[in-house]
Amino acid sequence: MATGFQMVMGPRPGEVARVLAAFAAFAESRAVPAEARRALLVVLDELLTNIASYGMAGRADGSATVEAVVSPDALQVTLTDNGPQFDPLARMAPDTTLSVEDRPIGGLGIYLMQHLVDEAHYMRMGDQNVLVITKRLPAGASPELEGGL
Amino acid sequence: MEVTTRTQGDVTIVAIAGSLDSITSPQAQQAIDAVVAHGARKVAVDFSTLEYVSSAGLRVLLSLAKQLKAKGGALRTFGLNQTVREVFEISGFATILSVYPGEGEALSGL
Repeated sequence: MATGFQMVMGPRPGEVARVLAAFAAFAESRAVPAEARRALLVVLDELLTNIASYGMAGRADGSATVEAVVSPDALQVTLTDNGPQFDPLARMAPDTTLSVEDRPIGGLGIYLMQHLVDEAHYMRMGDQNVLVITKRLPAGASPELEGGL
Repeated sequence: MEVTTRTQGDVTIVAIAGSLDSITSPQAQQAIDAVVAHGARKVAVDFSTLEYVSSAGLRVLLSLAKQLKAKGGALRTFGLNQTVREVFEISGFATILSVYPGEGEALSGL
């Protein structure tokens, strides 16, 4: 499909950087609005670093697949990984009202992800974690229709 | 990601360009630590060429805020795009890192 993106990530250093760069190029080539592209890059950085740090820890066969599809009204990303069961949507929210001195470093990534996307669904399918996230695109953006007709 | 600094009076303006994420944050942390080590106390961070910031980048900014606070300094930020602003608001950073629209407002009274 002309609007699709698919990339497999292994347990090697530099994999998150490789996927983020390719995803940014994909989103730009499909004329995805900058705000949606940037929000998804934040989300992917959070999710992929999580998978690289925990899901793939100590596993030579660790693998994650990132797929994305652009439609006129949404950008949908599916993340599949073979790490231990982990539902990022079940995490507790951090206390964001603490003052700067009292705030623990870290713990915000999953919370950011949940708020930057419009929909998120988690499933455990066999030995795989599957997370489907959707970012709605502003009306009229219709990326793949522009210039294609 | 690129960090550049310039001074205006006793204020150090730190511009962060590109993306501030898990990949670039170690390099950004080094640059920020160097700014504080060189004696900067009043810092204004210019985000006008920053694409996005993720939680790894927020950690760097929080570290800067804590270092400056410990030394009796001050931190302001300006030039946030919509995504950076959203991340600041969701995370609560908008209330702990003083956010101003532009450089003029950020430097006024700092």
